[in-house]
Amino acid sequence: MPTSKASFEEIYKNHHTMISQMCLGFVKGNTELANDLSQEVFIIIWNKLSTYEAKSSVKTWIYRITVNTCLQHIRKESKTKIYSISDKNESTTEPTEEENSDNNLGLYKAIGELREMDRLLIMMVLDDQNNDTIANVLGIKHSSIRVKIHRIKNRLKKILTNGK
Amino acid sequence: MENDFEDIKKDWNSGKKDFVANSKETEEKMTLIKKKRKENSMFYYGTVIILLITLVVISLFFYYVAPVKNILSRIGVLLMIGSLLIRIAIELASVRKLKKINKEDSALKSIETLISFHSFRKLIHSPISIIIISAYTLGFYLITPEFSLYISFWMLVLIDLSYVVVAIVLFMNISKGIKKEMKTLSDMIKLREDLVE
Repeated sequence: MPTSKASFEEIYKNHHTMISQMCLGFVKGNTELANDLSQEVFIIIWNKLSTYEAKSSVKTWIYRITVNTCLQHIRKESKTKIYSISDKNESTTEPTEEENSDNNLGLYKAIGELREMDRLLIMMVLDDQNNDTIANVLGIKHSSIRVKIHRIKNRLKKILTNGK
Repeated sequence: MENDFEDIKKDWNSGKKDFVANSKETEEKMTLIKKKRKENSMFYYGTVIILLITLVVISLFFYYVAPVKNILSRIGVLLMIGSLLIRIAIELASVRKLKKINKEDSALKSIETLISFHSFRKLIHSPISIIIISAYTLGFYLITPEFSLYISFWMLVLIDLSYVVVAIVLFMNISKGIKKEMKTLSDMIKLREDLVE
């Protein structure tokens, strides 16, 4: 096993795109918030790296940390409208145009219109993760994943169609 | 439908190019993460440190500056110091519970641990904090008769009235804390429902 620092650098290199994009989708394309979130994810990864037991693949482990960090961010920012479950359609934060290309910003915003849990789930689907991995990360039955994915895909398509 | 989703997937994958970092940017980000990692370790103990400082100041005050002699005043001092000690113990228990939330768990398990943590925090705010502040306030006013022997009447009125202001601020903070915990709890319960529905 290489040193903790070397392992962390390897993880950063291989997974920072996945983590950053997932955080960006979760916060509706807001780069500043996404950076804060992804930094928090990497701090946890670094802190937990020495105790990682390889019960699951590194990618599944990283997904779990990313999903939990995104979800727990809701409670820290419970007073901020962007994260409020009851006011989810009233985002007050607008990312700047130059931060993301138009298509992607539209997609991140559309993902942001979904419920928090649905955002995370569909982003794992977009990243080509299989149902077993998703079920493992979320802790729910494999059988319910397919139904959920179908429902979220419909919802996302509807949002993108109405938004265009 | 699948074709539509394939288009969405293409957009998603094309967005990955926005995250390609050069080695200088990577190095900068790594340095920032290292720095923040150090800052995070002190985050949990902020309230405990403030309460401990208050405890030390009050204890030193009653030991060196104003060692009270009446039995009533001594009960008052015990109530004040005891309340602070209990509050510190609860805050440490809270930190311990917070540290048990493992971000390596599945989302469902993690949310359930969070619900348990915020239920505990809600219990701390009400009724425990209210009882603790009431005991502290009672202790404060029990000392007043003995203090009146050594300070002027108006100074005593000023001290007592200023404490009322402090008490109002404390109760407002508790009320705010309860509302915040309730909001977080309902958000977490809603997340659990979304997940298991």
